[in-house]
Amino acid sequence: MLTTLAVDSFSHYAPLGVLLLIALAFGAGNLVLTRVVGPRRLGEVKGMVYESGVNPISSARRRFNVRFYIVAMTFLVFDVEIVFLYPWATTFPSLAEGSELAPLFLGRMLFFVLTSVIAFAYAWRKGVFRYD
Amino acid sequence: MNPMLDKLSTLWPEMTLLAGACVCMLAGLSGSAVVRRSPRWIAAVSLLLAGLCVATSSVAEPRHTGAALVGVAGLAVYVKMAIVAVGLLLLLIASQVPDRLRQTQDAEAATGRGGVFDPAGVMRGEFFAFFLLSLCGAMLCAGAEDLVWLFLALELTSLPTYVMVATSRDRAGAQESAVKYFFLGAMAAAVFLYGFALIYGATGSTQYDQIAAFVHAQSASGQALPPLFIVGLVLAVVGVSFKIAAVPMHFYAADVYQGAAGPVTAFLAFVPKTAGFVSLIGLLGPACQANAEQLQPVIWLLWIMAVLSMTVGNTLGLLQHNVKRVLAYSSIAHSGYMLVGLIAAVAAATTPGAVTAGEHLGNGVAALLFYLVAYGLATLGAFAVLGCVTTDQGDEAQTYDDIAGLGQRHPLLGVIMLISVLSLVGLPPMVGFLGKIYLFGSAIQHGYIWLVIIAVLNSAISAVYYLRIIGACYFAKPNDQTQVAVSPAVQLGALVAAVGAVMLGVAGGRLVDAARDAAAPPDAAVVETAPLPDGDAESWSPQWADTSVKW
Repeated sequence: MLTTLAVDSFSHYAPLGVLLLIALAFGAGNLVLTRVVGPRRLGEVKGMVYESGVNPISSARRRFNVRFYIVAMTFLVFDVEIVFLYPWATTFPSLAEGSELAPLFLGRMLFFVLTSVIAFAYAWRKGVFRYD
Repeated sequence: MNPMLDKLSTLWPEMTLLAGACVCMLAGLSGSAVVRRSPRWIAAVSLLLAGLCVATSSVAEPRHTGAALVGVAGLAVYVKMAIVAVGLLLLLIASQVPDRLRQTQDAEAATGRGGVFDPAGVMRGEFFAFFLLSLCGAMLCAGAEDLVWLFLALELTSLPTYVMVATSRDRAGAQESAVKYFFLGAMAAAVFLYGFALIYGATGSTQYDQIAAFVHAQSASGQALPPLFIVGLVLAVVGVSFKIAAVPMHFYAADVYQGAAGPVTAFLAFVPKTAGFVSLIGLLGPACQANAEQLQPVIWLLWIMAVLSMTVGNTLGLLQHNVKRVLAYSSIAHSGYMLVGLIAAVAAATTPGAVTAGEHLGNGVAALLFYLVAYGLATLGAFAVLGCVTTDQGDEAQTYDDIAGLGQRHPLLGVIMLISVLSLVGLPPMVGFLGKIYLFGSAIQHGYIWLVIIAVLNSAISAVYYLRIIGACYFAKPNDQTQVAVSPAVQLGALVAAVGAVMLGVAGGRLVDAARDAAAPPDAAVVETAPLPDGDAESWSPQWADTSVKW
C-alpha cells in the first residue's frame, strides 16, 4: 500500500485550510457581531471575571498550597488511566469467540490496572493523601 | 501465529525489566529495613533474568525484509546483550547513590531512634525502578520497527534519566542540571517528532518496511526523493542527536554531566547514547533504499555533524578545569567518532555492490556497535573513580586539583582511571584503540579520507586533556583536602570495566564477531513489494565499489 500523500501537491490539505479560515472568521465575526448587535451595560458586577460564578476573593497571582499541585497530578494520572479503559471495553467484546488474542488483551488490561494500583499504593505510602 | 503475539514474544527482556521496576518501586517503600534496602538486588536479579531472556531468545525472522541497514533481530539481540552487560556494571557503581543522600540518612536515623519509617523523602525504590525503566526503553529502541514505537521507546529512555539526575545528589546543582536536561530534552523530542510527522506525511506510513518500500519505489523509478521526506529525515536525525549529545544538540552535556552524581553520569554517557545510535541506525535504514545521490543531503548532514562534534567537543574539552566537564566534552567528541562509522554504513548501503558484510574493516555499523561497548566500559570506569573521591564539603570531586595524586593515594583507583582514560584516547592495547581502528577503517574503505584525517587529528588533540587527567592522578602533589572512599561494589564494577577494556582490546575477537554478525544485512536485500525491473538485475550483481576519494 503505497500512498503518495502530499508528495506532489499540498491540495490534500485544502480542507484543513478551509477549516482554518472558518475558525478565524467565526472568531472575528463573533467579536464584530457583539460590538454591533450586543447591548452595552457596564457595571461593577458586569466587569467581574466570572459574571455568574463565585465572587473572586483576590488576584489569581497569590500563593497556593503546593499540595494542590500534587492532588492535581494524581487526579490527572488516575483520570487518564480510567479513560483508557473505555476504548478497551468497547473493543474487547467484539473479539471472535475463542480468539487467541483474548487472553492477551485481558492480560494487558489487567497489567495496566495493576500499574495504576501500584501508583495508588505508592502515592498513599509517600503521604500524598495525608492532610495534617 | 499472530503477528502481535510474534512481536510480543521478542519482548520478554523488556517485560522482565518492567516487572522488576514495579517491584522495586513498591519494595523501596516498605517499613522493613531488609525489604526497603532490597531494590538494588531486585534490579540486579531482573537484569540477570533479562539477560537470560536475551540469550535464550531465538533470533526470530525479521517481520520485513530489506527495510533496514541491518537485520533488526540480530541488531536487537546484540544491543540488548550489551545493555544488560554494561547495565550490570552501572548498577554496581550506582548501588550506593540513593543511600548517600542526606534525606535517606535522616529517615534511617529517625527510624533507628524508634520512629516509624517515613518513605516520603527516600528515593531507593524510585532510583532503581527508573534505572530499569530507562534500560527497558533503550532495549525497545533496538527492536523498533515503527516510528511511533521508536518515539515512545526514546522517551521511555529519557524521562527516567531526568528524575535520576535530579535525585542523584542533594545539591541544588543536580536539580538545576535536571531542569536544563528536561527542557532541552523536550525540545529535542519536539524536533524529532516533527521529523517523524513529515516522514509520515511524505510516505504515508510510520512502519519502517512501508517507508523502505516507498523510498525503493522512488529510487527504482529514478525520481528524486520528495523534499518533505528529506526534511523529515534531517529533523529526525538532528532531534535524535540530542540523545547521543552530538553537535548541534550538545549544549546540555557539560552542565548535566557536571550536576549529576558520577555513577548517574556514567549512565547518561552510555544508555541514552546507545538508544540514540540504535535509533539512528533504524531511521536511516529505510532511507538507504535510495542511492547515494538522492541521499546526499542526509550524508552531508551526518558529515557536518560528525566533524563539528569531534572538533567542538575536543576544543572545548581543552578549556575546562572540571574533570566531569572534560569527560562530557569527550562524550560529545566520541559521538562524532561514532558518526564516522554511521556515515560509512550509509555510504555502503547506498552504493550498489559495496555491501561489505563479513568484512571486519569496512562495516560501519559493526564498528559503531563495537565502539558503543568500548566507550561504555571506558567512560564507566572514569566516572566511577570520580564518584569515589569527595571534597571537604562532602561534594564529589570535580576539578583536576581534587583528583591530584590519586595514583599514590589509592593505587587501584589510579590504575582504573589510567586504563579508562587511555582507552578513551585510543591507545593500544586498550579497547578504544581497536574501536577507533574499526570506525576509521570503515570510513577509509568507502573513500572518506578527509573525514578520517579530521578524526585522527581530533584524537591527537583530545590526548592533551586526557593526559592532563593522568598527569593530575600521577604527577601532581597528593591533595589532602579530599577523601577517597571506595565501597566494594563500586570497586568491583569499575575494576571489571577496566579489565574488560584491556581484555577486549587484546582479545576482543568474540565481541568483534558478535558486532559483525549483528550488523549483517538482512538476507533479502530487495523489498518484496516493489521488485526491481528485470533489466536492472545486471547492475546489482556484486562488484567492488568505486572507492573514489570523497570528503
